[in-house]
Amino acid sequence: MTATLVFILSGMLAAATPMLFAALGESVAERSGVLNLSVEGMMATGAAFAFAVATLSGSHTLGFLAGGTAAALLSLVFAALVLVFHANQVAAGLAIGVLGLGVSAFAGNRFEGAAIAKPPSLDIPGLSDLPVVGPILFSHDAMVYLGILLVPVVALVFTRTKLGLSIRAVGENPEAARAIGTPVLGIRLGCVLFGGFMAGLGGAHLSIAYTALWAEGLVAGRGWIAVALVVFGSWLPFRIALGAYVFGAISLMELSVQGLGLAIPSQLLSASPYIVTILVLAAISRDQTRLRLTRPLSLGKPFRGQA
Amino acid sequence: MSLIRNLLSGALALAIATGAGIAAGAAEEKLKIGFVYPSPVGDVGWAHELDEGRKKIVEAYGDKVEAVTAENIPEGPDAARIMNQMIADGAKMLMIGSFGYMNDGLKLAKQHPEVAFIHASGYKLAPNFGNFQTRNYESAYIGGIAAGSLTKSKVLGVVAAYPIPEVVGIINAFTLGAQKVAPDVTVKVVWLNSWFDPNKSQESARSLVAQNADVLFSLYQDTPEVVTLAEELGVYVLNTSSDMAKYAPKKYLMGMTIDWGPHFVAEVGKVLDGKFEGTAYWGGMKDGAVGVGSLTADVPAPAKALIDEAVAAMKAGTFHPLTGPVLDQDGAEKLAAGAVIADGDLLGINWLVKGVETRIPQ
Repeated sequence: MTATLVFILSGMLAAATPMLFAALGESVAERSGVLNLSVEGMMATGAAFAFAVATLSGSHTLGFLAGGTAAALLSLVFAALVLVFHANQVAAGLAIGVLGLGVSAFAGNRFEGAAIAKPPSLDIPGLSDLPVVGPILFSHDAMVYLGILLVPVVALVFTRTKLGLSIRAVGENPEAARAIGTPVLGIRLGCVLFGGFMAGLGGAHLSIAYTALWAEGLVAGRGWIAVALVVFGSWLPFRIALGAYVFGAISLMELSVQGLGLAIPSQLLSASPYIVTILVLAAISRDQTRLRLTRPLSLGKPFRGQA
Repeated sequence: MSLIRNLLSGALALAIATGAGIAAGAAEEKLKIGFVYPSPVGDVGWAHELDEGRKKIVEAYGDKVEAVTAENIPEGPDAARIMNQMIADGAKMLMIGSFGYMNDGLKLAKQHPEVAFIHASGYKLAPNFGNFQTRNYESAYIGGIAAGSLTKSKVLGVVAAYPIPEVVGIINAFTLGAQKVAPDVTVKVVWLNSWFDPNKSQESARSLVAQNADVLFSLYQDTPEVVTLAEELGVYVLNTSSDMAKYAPKKYLMGMTIDWGPHFVAEVGKVLDGKFEGTAYWGGMKDGAVGVGSLTADVPAPAKALIDEAVAAMKAGTFHPLTGPVLDQDGAEKLAAGAVIADGDLLGINWLVKGVETRIPQ
């Protein structure tokens, strides 16, 4: 039983990391008023390029950078469509998402089914050897810790810095932000690129650290879960992180319960991560006033003023 | 205007060129064979094995055949379009490599009686539409003996996609094989409810190891993620479809290999002779369609002897893994002592043998 619990709790952090990166990035883009639905495609592109570069160079660091950059470039195409040409954000996001899946298949073609060594886990002498706590908290790769660290950082940027205030202003009322001299399109471009880079890192974590393998379709819907986490987490970093970790934990618990041989239909168990995550996030986000304060008012609307 | 003129002359040139191509093709009378795969052809996996079959055809018939392939074709309208296109381009034989191509393929077969179809893992037949499958439960039985001989925890873990009859039959044979050498062995299964999610199958494998499994069975996972994980965790692993020994140099138990070559070559031969007829092919060790690859040297001698004996018996066609007495999970007798399961019953099997802990979801 302890082994199963340790499996769930230690696996939770790693399982949630790809979605956490993508969702944090998407939340930043959305708070600047841009709805980017291409997360799934950007993650796939990031995963493929990260795998290719990490395989050819032998460096996981380079792999992560390549994955983030490739996805950011894809989000640049999206940004051009919606910020310059005022394309419908939903349609453009879906189109770029499909493009991303195609790009990932193309880039990963010669690596289909190939495996790669995992990056080393950052073991802390002494702490990592502790029973129960060691494997849960002190046996992960650097990206897992970076993901945890980014949650308060993003929260602090939004609440405590001028940049965060400008992003929120642009997302709430771009005309007013423009009137006081905030470069609306510049901020939005930056936020979309950041979202792309983060989605790429999330995809890269899947292909070169978590599963350590490339296969077309590897992302398998995690990008969409990230998009949903942003909304259900009401655009707040800590809630998004909570949602990602709950989702990770329940999806692992589901598999353990199956192995235990309990007579619960496996189809219901497969659906349980979605159900539980929605319930948890809906419960903590039920305060409508608070929700209205955090939802970016201009989300999805193009800004036609002079940048 | 000049652009349109260029386009027109280009199209004309193309038409002449293709016309010439067809004329040249007719002169040589090459048999054009189309291959449609549901997934990309990687180093290992389902599409890879089908493509190995294609290579054997080319090897056997050389200039008499011309193979065209389309990989990663989703089941549904896309597949129908590709098959149509291949026939329009002159293909006289199609190998369609996924269950879900069945109905579209059959419809086309009726429209084009001159084209021969062979379909992977389906059950429908027509005069020019045959299907083919392998008796993977035979190699699963061998895998069971090997797993049972090496497990210390007496817990074996299976990562499986969906509880379809073929998968259930394989798990049963695997369990019976393991019980042959370790009667008290327990088999745990995780159903992924997904044909393709490498992350999830790896998580499932981890969860099984956390529950004491020290041998993992990667059942119909096309990619090697469970195999690489097993090597990392230090537990033995076996898998279906391809030999994946290179992904787990130390902990590879064995691969349940498939060889479509003999069947494909025979069918193409019939088409060349104008004698093709749609048949249901269910190839096993006897036909050379199913085999054991890279069996680990760690298997102790008595178990190895049992394995050799079982392989020889299945090759001779004198032994079936599902031979009574066999009890189901509730202890009810499904096969009396000495009784062998009928092919029809095995094709629709919906019960697991005693010793498997996980239930089939209803």
